[in-house]
Amino acid sequence: MTTPSIRRVAILGGNRIPFARSNTVYSQASNQEMLTATLQGLVDRFNLHGERLGDVVAGAVMKHSRDFNLVRESVLSTTLARETPAFDIQQACGTGLEAAMIVANKIALGHIDSGIAGGVDTTSDAPIALNEKLRKILLDLSRAKTGAQRLTAAMRIRPSMLLKPALPRNGEPRTGLSMGEHAEQMAREWAIPREAQDELALKSHQNLAKAYEHGFFTDLMTPFKGVTKDNNLRADLTIEKLRSLKPVFDRQVAPGQGTLTAGNSTPLTDGASAVLLASEEWAAARNLPVQAYISFSEVAAVDFFDKKEGLLMAPAYAVPRMLARAGLTLQDFDYYEIHEAFAAQVLCTLAAWQDKVFCKQQLGLDKSLGKIDMKKLNVNGSSLAAGHPFAATGGRIVATLAKMLAQKGSGRGLISICAAGGQGVVAIIER
Amino acid sequence: MTTTTQEITGSPSLAATFFRALGTGGKRPGLVKTLPKVELAIPAVTLDAQHIARYAALCGFSASQGVPLIYPQMLTFPLVTAYMCSPECPWPAMGTVHLANTIEQYKSLRAGDKVRVEMGTGELFTHEKGQGFTLDLRILRDGELVWSATQSLLRVGVKETSGQPFTSQLALDTSLSCQTEFTAPADIGRRYGAVSGDRNPIHLTAITAKLFGFKRAIAHGMWTKARAISYLLPADRLERASVAVEFKTPLMLPGRAALWTERSDHGAQFEVRDKKGVRPHLRGQLSY
Repeated sequence: MTTPSIRRVAILGGNRIPFARSNTVYSQASNQEMLTATLQGLVDRFNLHGERLGDVVAGAVMKHSRDFNLVRESVLSTTLARETPAFDIQQACGTGLEAAMIVANKIALGHIDSGIAGGVDTTSDAPIALNEKLRKILLDLSRAKTGAQRLTAAMRIRPSMLLKPALPRNGEPRTGLSMGEHAEQMAREWAIPREAQDELALKSHQNLAKAYEHGFFTDLMTPFKGVTKDNNLRADLTIEKLRSLKPVFDRQVAPGQGTLTAGNSTPLTDGASAVLLASEEWAAARNLPVQAYISFSEVAAVDFFDKKEGLLMAPAYAVPRMLARAGLTLQDFDYYEIHEAFAAQVLCTLAAWQDKVFCKQQLGLDKSLGKIDMKKLNVNGSSLAAGHPFAATGGRIVATLAKMLAQKGSGRGLISICAAGGQGVVAIIER
Repeated sequence: MTTTTQEITGSPSLAATFFRALGTGGKRPGLVKTLPKVELAIPAVTLDAQHIARYAALCGFSASQGVPLIYPQMLTFPLVTAYMCSPECPWPAMGTVHLANTIEQYKSLRAGDKVRVEMGTGELFTHEKGQGFTLDLRILRDGELVWSATQSLLRVGVKETSGQPFTSQLALDTSLSCQTEFTAPADIGRRYGAVSGDRNPIHLTAITAKLFGFKRAIAHGMWTKARAISYLLPADRLERASVAVEFKTPLMLPGRAALWTERSDHGAQFEVRDKKGVRPHLRGQLSY
């Protein structure tokens, strides 16, 4: 028996639908529709009609129970060969990048030759569950065998249960705090001023607006429901406008001292994204140019409960571990794509890498990782401007960074994405 | 010239103060070249825990912050009133505007402390709207200065003025951002008046405020200042701190105001603005 050697994994391109703020233009669109439209757009762009791909891996963070086979169902609705397998994954905001890593690893090991990775999320078409007490009663009811048992179960139903459904919430089950409140705590711990957060948010909008102006997204996007541009983007945003917004996550964790506002935090967003990955041979056989290669990835998780590490600090741990494996320093990159869950998250991560004590005690390094050149950070905008449909952010970033490297001709880019549950997914893309 | 300090014991009744204040309306001084030196003092006051708690609750301070930085000014109020209603003060009490206030705390105070409270007249200054003058306020504990303040007051409409021109100490070259909003309830003037003793009719009701040319009652500037810094001060007791503010426009009651800030390591620049964030009510600088 022979084990095939590890192959390079090529990124051939990506596609996404424009992202839309929750309860706006996509309020009636389901995850299924958005993911299908995104996959079909990718199939059209690379002429994959009738093609049997190795695997399609994607996911959604907010999912209806009826969508248990979301990705396979979407694949069946596209013009890909029906024989293309697919499956769902979920790792909160890390879903999209983790999906890319799963496909990439299969390609690298020769298990498959091509695949699509992606993600989709809607907070507009959110799954609202039955009231938990009502749900238990209904289950008891279904288990009841006699009329008397049925009656006993039914008697426990109260009208109020119908009026109090279980709503999904953007919070950490273990702390009861929302992600924004956790990010506010991190901003306090790392003393990230409000002004710096607003400036980063402004830069994100300016960069994304510039990218649209230059037509950067024309071959990365399929219009959906008449939308051609991320509708969270404010091209005319000013620092004054950002300053005028009131902190929104401070009530519990920093009363009157908050720094996170609706302007420097990502809004709830609807959208989907996908990237096409393949072996070099597969790409060459179809005459598809390679944009970049996925070379490293790493995941990390932090103990935000007992050790009280910041909830969104896991990328700060994942990146140095990956750099050590790759034999690189933090400065060896042409582009940095740090997902802007909150401006504070980006700034806390950068501050941690510059902090000698953190790098020594938490990362076990001799010296700090140092600064990055801020001009290389999120140069075509990021989540603060584009919005953040949880599982779709990874695909957006991989496709964006691969295209940037293709345009540059050669170089190296770092991806860092934080996720709920104190997790982080990071990767290196090269050309 | 030496001045003798006049010591005051026992606090004047509200009604008496009010009528005396109205009664001083007849003062019509000509050009005042220098401010006559007056020194007033209350030899012994004990800081009352209950009164401090009432004040703290009204302004939003927490118990852990100890005696609020601005609180000692409450103790000086009888002296300022006595001076303003006295023949030594060239202008009537009613219609004198609070322009600026600077406070410096050198040592923290505690409930139960026995202190000496002093007030002295300061300097004259020229302001585009009239004649300004300052009053120096001091709190001493065991003979040691622990707290001092300068109150800048303005007599609007005085044509011939003396003194150096007023210059703003708080040029705002920084960028502030909206920190929080707070409500100035309709009855805050009456409640703060009850705690502070400053029952100037412009703060009490819309009707009494109208008599003095205001559309509605206006918040005490010192309440607005206290409310603002209650958000900005750390949660723990401070040994040394200082805060300076300039009062810009009145905050009408009831009203909603926004606190705009830029923090630094040991302090903050701030403005209390209207809800829209356009018109400033007061501007200040805090350091600790």
